[in-house]
Amino acid sequence: MTETLTSTELELPAQPAANSTSMQFVHNLGWTFVYLGVLTLGFVVHQLYITTWFAQQNQPELAAERVEQWAATEISEVVVGSADVAPDEPGVLSGATGDTGDGVRSEPLILQIESAPDDGAAFALIRIPKIEALQDGWNVVEGVSSQDLRNGAGHMPNTALPGQPGNAVISGHRTTWGQPFRELDALDPGDRIEVDTALGTHIYEVKEIRIVKPTDVWVADPREGAWLTLTTCNPEFSARERLVIAAELVFGPNADVIEVLS
Amino acid sequence: MIRRIWRVLPGPTAVRVVQATILTVLFLIVLNSFYDWLGTVLIDQGGTVG
Repeated sequence: MTETLTSTELELPAQPAANSTSMQFVHNLGWTFVYLGVLTLGFVVHQLYITTWFAQQNQPELAAERVEQWAATEISEVVVGSADVAPDEPGVLSGATGDTGDGVRSEPLILQIESAPDDGAAFALIRIPKIEALQDGWNVVEGVSSQDLRNGAGHMPNTALPGQPGNAVISGHRTTWGQPFRELDALDPGDRIEVDTALGTHIYEVKEIRIVKPTDVWVADPREGAWLTLTTCNPEFSARERLVIAAELVFGPNADVIEVLS
Repeated sequence: MIRRIWRVLPGPTAVRVVQATILTVLFLIVLNSFYDWLGTVLIDQGGTVG
């Protein structure tokens, strides 16, 4: 004969208190790991995709801002010296000519200087034909604060503007915020970097590639001639070092004058 | 945990929904700031020197 027991009649052996506590601990520990996993996954998605999405969404607006900035830029001409040009040589340098008597012309060296861009404003477009993500160009803003660099790339204030004598420094994200400089390590000496400003297109040729510490500010020091220095984090997914690409101006509105000066 | 927070919220359902929405927005703002800070420290400082 079968006897049915109700739940109240069925007395299960009581679990030891210690066992119950340890089970609760394991349960809580498990959920803690689940939450940590979700937070970590969220961090990865935020850094790799959400920041980049925002930076890319800003590009059309920055392009329009850049065009406005170019229209507002004042370009002045400064005579920085003169150069003798043989009669049979074409006048490659800007400015009026004067005959010195023996057929040799004396040409003034005229440097075109553009006014400083507004802080945070997009004022340049950088293109690197070798890097697919930069073939169509990426807007460069004035400033390298964390807010400025949310647009991807920024020009370090107090360094030369692109196309001007000295050392123009542009820093950019490699992993987050549009990651415009992600493939900068693919550059080799001799590769071209093009920068459009209000003055025109300045073409640089890569000369030096270095890995330095984040504190090595000397990479931004002024240099003789016209240089463009690109800096980004290295290695990818780490802020431990900096990858520094130094390129020299080879073509552009001021290239001939700067070459004669240096 | 989400259920526990929901149960702790005072008032009728409509008020709870408003409170939960505000708490969610605040949480996302704090989380975004935390992720920004952590990303800058660990992953990418924008390549700046100095």
